[in-house]
Amino acid sequence: MNDKNGSFMKSKRRLIDNILWIGLIAVLAALIFIPGAIGKSTHTHVLVLVLLYASMAQSWNILGGYCGQISFGHSVFFGLGAYGAGMAMVTYGSMPWLGILAGAIIAAVTSVLLGWPCFKLRGHYFAIATFAIVEIFGRVFLIWDWIGGALGLDYPIIKDSWSYFLWSSNKTGYYTGALVLFVFIFGVVRYIESRKLGYYMRAVKEGQETAESLGVNSTKVKLTAMALSAFLAALCGAFFAQYNYRVDPPMVMSLDMSMKFVLITILGGMGTFWGPFLGAAVLIPLQEYTRTSLAFLGPGVDQMVYGLLIIFMMVRQPKGIMGFLAEFGILGRNEKKEATGDDAS
Amino acid sequence: MLVKSKAVKFFLVLVFVLAVSSASFAAEKIIKIGTIFPHTGPAAVSGQNCVAAVETAVEFINNKYDWEGFPLAQKEGLLDGYKIVLVNADHQGKPDIAKSEAERLYEEEGVFAIIGCYNSSSSKPASAVAERLEKIFMCGASSSAELTERGFNYFFRTAATDAIESAEFGEYIEHLNKEKGTNLTTLGLIYENSEFGKHAADEGKKVAAKMGINVVADIPFTVGATNMDSEIQTLKAANPDVVFGAALGGDYSLMVRTMKQSNWASKIFINYCTGYQNPAINKELGADSSYYMGGMGYSPEIAEVYMKAALPAQEIYRAKTGFPLDSDSIQETVCLHVLAQAIEKAGVLNTEKVVEILRTETFDSPLSLSGKVAFAPGGQNSKAFTVITQLLDLKYRTVFPASYADSELIYPFPAWDKR
Repeated sequence: MNDKNGSFMKSKRRLIDNILWIGLIAVLAALIFIPGAIGKSTHTHVLVLVLLYASMAQSWNILGGYCGQISFGHSVFFGLGAYGAGMAMVTYGSMPWLGILAGAIIAAVTSVLLGWPCFKLRGHYFAIATFAIVEIFGRVFLIWDWIGGALGLDYPIIKDSWSYFLWSSNKTGYYTGALVLFVFIFGVVRYIESRKLGYYMRAVKEGQETAESLGVNSTKVKLTAMALSAFLAALCGAFFAQYNYRVDPPMVMSLDMSMKFVLITILGGMGTFWGPFLGAAVLIPLQEYTRTSLAFLGPGVDQMVYGLLIIFMMVRQPKGIMGFLAEFGILGRNEKKEATGDDAS
Repeated sequence: MLVKSKAVKFFLVLVFVLAVSSASFAAEKIIKIGTIFPHTGPAAVSGQNCVAAVETAVEFINNKYDWEGFPLAQKEGLLDGYKIVLVNADHQGKPDIAKSEAERLYEEEGVFAIIGCYNSSSSKPASAVAERLEKIFMCGASSSAELTERGFNYFFRTAATDAIESAEFGEYIEHLNKEKGTNLTTLGLIYENSEFGKHAADEGKKVAAKMGINVVADIPFTVGATNMDSEIQTLKAANPDVVFGAALGGDYSLMVRTMKQSNWASKIFINYCTGYQNPAINKELGADSSYYMGGMGYSPEIAEVYMKAALPAQEIYRAKTGFPLDSDSIQETVCLHVLAQAIEKAGVLNTEKVVEILRTETFDSPLSLSGKVAFAPGGQNSKAFTVITQLLDLKYRTVFPASYADSELIYPFPAWDKR
């Protein structure tokens, strides 16, 4: 009876989640067709960044949240994607698409090559190793002239077009692109969440030895999660380069950028489907609007507000916004369990 | 109930005040100019100085001063009573933020032009936004020569580039070898690994190749470095006669202190536009700042002799920062001064007309060493000119070219333990 009840509750929860998910996509897509809603304003810029950073955080969430492998090295994969697009456009003067695909594949292969030795380490040691990877890649890219070195790659000024995925007169194209990226990455996660890989990843997170004793090949699961996570992070990096008309190593392959992947997910709620979106929806507007509205108070006030919010969240509710929602009873029993990790029954 | 009615009254008064103030603001004749500088991050001190330098220009353009031979100072505002209002933005040393702030300033704030961004890597994407939107971008101290090699139509830079400075450094070495018999034959390069540093080093190498000087050390370092022991030890091992340095702000202090700890110095050490030009950093270094050299378009000492008209403007800047104008930040003052002259000459606030005047006319510039500013195709100030100075007891002594020299070079750089 309890099993039947539990199964019914899970189906109901999934149905509600699906309705919310489709509703969110519909609202975001509808904005494109409402005159004046999307254009060249700062609000559109903030919306584009929310979708981009939510996508980045979700790509990290696959490895860090669902699989429990805390990586501070995702800016490397992000950077490889950015350089794929940048080199196609700047070095070879072509459209970015093949470069984007090549960058994403290289990122996935690189992640497996790096993951193979690094996954022999556990917990904090794995995290420290990924820190070092960012430093190594960042420095190599700074002195590697073939990819532009410290000078970086600056996009040429060309006409707005979908074929080159570049716009300057307004941001509708970028918004549409960011929405497609967001739907794709969140869609992938939604798909694998309820598939074998999703369960295996959560099993590895809960306890690698236990999972292995039940027949889960933890190394294969972690490498698969790493490759998928890196591939998707690289797609985000390519979008970032196209959006900023420039790529250089400190912009993309830095610890600062890596921290964004991690912070947004932690703020929203690690290992949850909605966490990365909620984290980005709070942090990015806060970061962008405080920078412009609090500038008169003096340099760096926006960054202080940003830092204080993170400290407050970590002290008050380490499970992030999803934890808050559970605490205030906005989530159901099962969602609460997912958000807080507590057994609600 | 009483509370509720008080709240309603307060709300109505607030709405009224806001409506009246916004209406009066709209009626004012203002020209909005955006600035984008690093208010925070590794180059924050220089960025904040740049903002103060632009504010200095606003002060003498908007108000009346009886400064002779100083365009626009003797009248209030521009055109028929327009005042300049600055809208400041912080790019934190990040090119992506510089780009999005440029978009916001042009499209949301409706600024007529932007002045920025100090860091060459941030000036690039921000000025690309201006070019795409066909808006004016004035650039002061970003020295990467590549900025004016892009063929942009709306980009104008007042400072000398690292290519111009490198050529002058080369000329000076040749002069020393020929006239003083110094026999300087080897070069070391130490530079921050950024758009600015890399480009400066590349220009230095070109000059060395042209002169037949052997580059024996090529040492990039990470911006915001916390330790430079290995970089300075490498330089010491190569022991070049001459070093060209490109280190900004705190990196410059660290480099000088590490050289002292290593008890090593090249015979001469010449800096591009770096921490060397910043009086605050040299004050912090004290006696250790002496004997270093650098290319400069301005110093209080040079101004006393060749740019007397600039001295009153320097006092406005000093009141804001506590320091005299420096060779980097003054370029931002020049940017707004030249732009304001172009607006005044155009007679209307029309981008295309102002751009046409910027491209074709020569401007009087008491804040520039050459006294003039004129832009070549691509936007480089063809009148940009620097001299080589050497610091001694926190005073910049001009040593080259001979026509500007007020002191003899102290050569070679004295050993640290024999000072």
